[in-house]
Amino acid sequence: MNALSPSTLLVLVPLLPLVGAILTVALGRVLGARAHLPAVAGIAAAFVVAVMLLFGMAREVGVGTTGHDHAAKPVEMVTTLWEWAVVGDAAAAGDAGSAAQSFSIPVALRLDPLTATLLVIITGVGLLVAIYSIGYMHGDPGYPRFFALVSAFVFSMSMLVAASNFLLVYVFWEAVGACSYLLIGFWFTKPEAAKAAKKAFLVNRIGDFGLAVATFLLWMTYGTLNFHDTTLADGTLMPGILGATRLADASAYVGGAVGTAICLLFLLAACGKSAQLPLHVWLPDAMEGPTPASSLIHAATMVTAGIYLVARTAPLFEACPGALTLVSIVGATTALVAALIGTVQNDLKRVLAYSTISQLGYMFASLGTGTLLGFTAAIFHLVTHAFFKALLFMGAGSVMHSMGGVIDMRRFGGLRRIMPITAATFLVGSLALAGVAPFAGFFSKDEILASLHSRGWPDAHGEHLEAAPAGGHANAAATFHLAFHTASVTPDAAQLAGGARGSALDALNTPATWRILFWMSLVTAALTAFYTFRAVFMTFTGPTRVPEEAGHHAHESPPSMTIPLVILAALSAVSGWWLFSTHSLASFLASTPSFTAPSVASTATPPAFHWDLAIQGTLAAAIGIVVAALGHLGRRSDGPQMERFLGPLETLFANRFFFDQIYSALIVKPLELIATLAALIDRRVIDGLVDAIARVPAGLGTVVRHLQSGLMQRYALAGVIGTLLIVLALVARAMG
Amino acid sequence: MNLLANTVAPSALVIDGLVVGAILFALGLVGILARRNLIVMFLCAELMLQGISVSLVSWSRHHGDWGGHVLVIFVLTVAACEAAVALVFVLQAFARTGRLDSAAWQSLRESNLPRTIDRELPAIDTVPPKFPKLAPAGVEPAADEDALHEREHV
Repeated sequence: MNALSPSTLLVLVPLLPLVGAILTVALGRVLGARAHLPAVAGIAAAFVVAVMLLFGMAREVGVGTTGHDHAAKPVEMVTTLWEWAVVGDAAAAGDAGSAAQSFSIPVALRLDPLTATLLVIITGVGLLVAIYSIGYMHGDPGYPRFFALVSAFVFSMSMLVAASNFLLVYVFWEAVGACSYLLIGFWFTKPEAAKAAKKAFLVNRIGDFGLAVATFLLWMTYGTLNFHDTTLADGTLMPGILGATRLADASAYVGGAVGTAICLLFLLAACGKSAQLPLHVWLPDAMEGPTPASSLIHAATMVTAGIYLVARTAPLFEACPGALTLVSIVGATTALVAALIGTVQNDLKRVLAYSTISQLGYMFASLGTGTLLGFTAAIFHLVTHAFFKALLFMGAGSVMHSMGGVIDMRRFGGLRRIMPITAATFLVGSLALAGVAPFAGFFSKDEILASLHSRGWPDAHGEHLEAAPAGGHANAAATFHLAFHTASVTPDAAQLAGGARGSALDALNTPATWRILFWMSLVTAALTAFYTFRAVFMTFTGPTRVPEEAGHHAHESPPSMTIPLVILAALSAVSGWWLFSTHSLASFLASTPSFTAPSVASTATPPAFHWDLAIQGTLAAAIGIVVAALGHLGRRSDGPQMERFLGPLETLFANRFFFDQIYSALIVKPLELIATLAALIDRRVIDGLVDAIARVPAGLGTVVRHLQSGLMQRYALAGVIGTLLIVLALVARAMG
Repeated sequence: MNLLANTVAPSALVIDGLVVGAILFALGLVGILARRNLIVMFLCAELMLQGISVSLVSWSRHHGDWGGHVLVIFVLTVAACEAAVALVFVLQAFARTGRLDSAAWQSLRESNLPRTIDRELPAIDTVPPKFPKLAPAGVEPAADEDALHEREHV
């Protein structure tokens, strides 16, 4: 293997942060205040390698040369490191004709446009977060631990997007969850932080359960867990789930009940990791962690995992139009609900948290359209969102750093005079988030709206898109027989999925649904602009006010914190325009194997700028900003305008639609009741039994102890009686 | 031994010996169980020992075997030693509590059992010990009346 071959480089991307993490753990005490060095160096090196891979991949794909009119070729490169586990005889399986007899888990990494893009985002944003943390975490007693965790987080996430096997994906899905648990609970001596970490972990477990069951179902249905095609020992080709063989065949994906079940379980998993309704409750609480950790979780790692999973398994979803529609419904609903909650939050970081949930909802809404435009728009938004959300979080962290840990927006104001760099970069991030042209968020949001619009008004988007729903249906019909067969061999799976559910969900897939989703997204866009600028106005405008906690040294943050802010601000400003105008990201991603499936690729549309949608989006953003300005600009920066305006709705929003209370009443309290009962049974019944048995010897003892009187005569008498008994027994035996 | 064998029936002799031994043993046993005086109890134990010794000698004689005789000599020796040790214990016990009643010595019972009292033990009139006093130098010591009294008997 060449030292700089793509496969070596691919292995290096996760390996370097892992080495960084291990070195930080090993040398943390020795390095002391320089404990960030191994982690930062590891992530930086991984970033460089990831960029090299991205450019190599771009050359391979031929970005710019490929027109939209001929379908993009799938480009992938798989490196199998070693066989993790081999169960059963592969050769015998080939003879039997059913591969379900043997099972092997190769530790295989893959590189394709989707992975390359995400690797750059993960390591890039991870690197900036790590650099920022040097300033932010300075002097914290857990300094080395923090960098080890960040490094491990980057490693897990890189592995998650690079793994070419569903089981590996599951492993690193869990690893990401564990890292997030450790980072959210970084200040574990604080009860809120420990609780938030536990909550994040437990809620994620629900999603993980979905992924586990989906993996089992995939194995039952397809007989393999590999993404790529593999050659078995006897030379037969085992088509991987997302391999070229299967992708070429439109009917190779199972629809119907089993397919829908798999997709819904994937959706459940994605909802857990990406904080979508109804599993979004962990994300706002995750703000208890250090701000750089929040930034990492929200921008580069963790929450993007759900988007990645759905994008990766696009062909599976295409076979189940109902499930796809549900993805969009969940996404758009989450986007709207989270945005509504975000409008009344007074904690700067919580505003951003709900904005993350909302933006992820956008991405899901876009994924759910099932068109190539939808998938690429979601990834596009993921990229731009990673830039501006990391920027906003770090900006919030910078504010918090300077305000002595206070993050309640009502307690400070006019900070633009104290921290000009933070204010300027935060403003850029906010403009990008609000979707103001020409900042990054505008273009990605425009594409998402376009993808939704194309499903709601198919006629308006030409021939290509008209084929999309029809193609989906034909696909579903074609795979129905296959699904039926699969259902007959795996009746449990079919029962699990529920026979009628697949078709019932498909009924949702009507233009009317998509129109509603489109309007929901547009309203969300306005709300996004509103809550973002409400936060900007409350924090940075108006008379300068500083809470007592900040003391007299409220100041701009050190360069290690402001430099990442400036870099991210630049990216937030130009990346959207650049990626959109050159159409490079979309054409690059189109070569991802998952997106070259006929069901996806047939929906390709010429790159277009939708003036009507752009105007609508901009109008929505403008309305939001104007309303925010009316309520909170300048002197009114901390007024209770929202509360007066919303009335009773404010209670609903401020209590986050009572999700936590409902979960508490429906799940937590009954579980606690059961736990109390179980504890009672354990303590009374089981322990009681044990105690009762223990009391038997004691009770016997109290009876027998009276023999031990201490009186010599009694002992002598006992001796005599004993002797007599022995003698009698001997005599009796002698006499027969 | 041959002389004896000629005059009395061998079986009669051994039976007599065994009967005497049994009577001695039974007396000792009853004494140990019934009496509470430590010295008497010790004597009764000795009595039981001697009862066994008698039967040993009888059997030994009956079988014409010296083994039993030798054993009895050993028993006597050991009993003598044991008597010395046991009497020291008894004396020490008496010195500590002023009692010879075995019922006074029941503290080796289960810790939380009450003391067994069938009859109240009589109170002990504690006589303060008398220590000889040195006479002041150069003065004739006062004559001790008791000593003088006893001196007459000596």
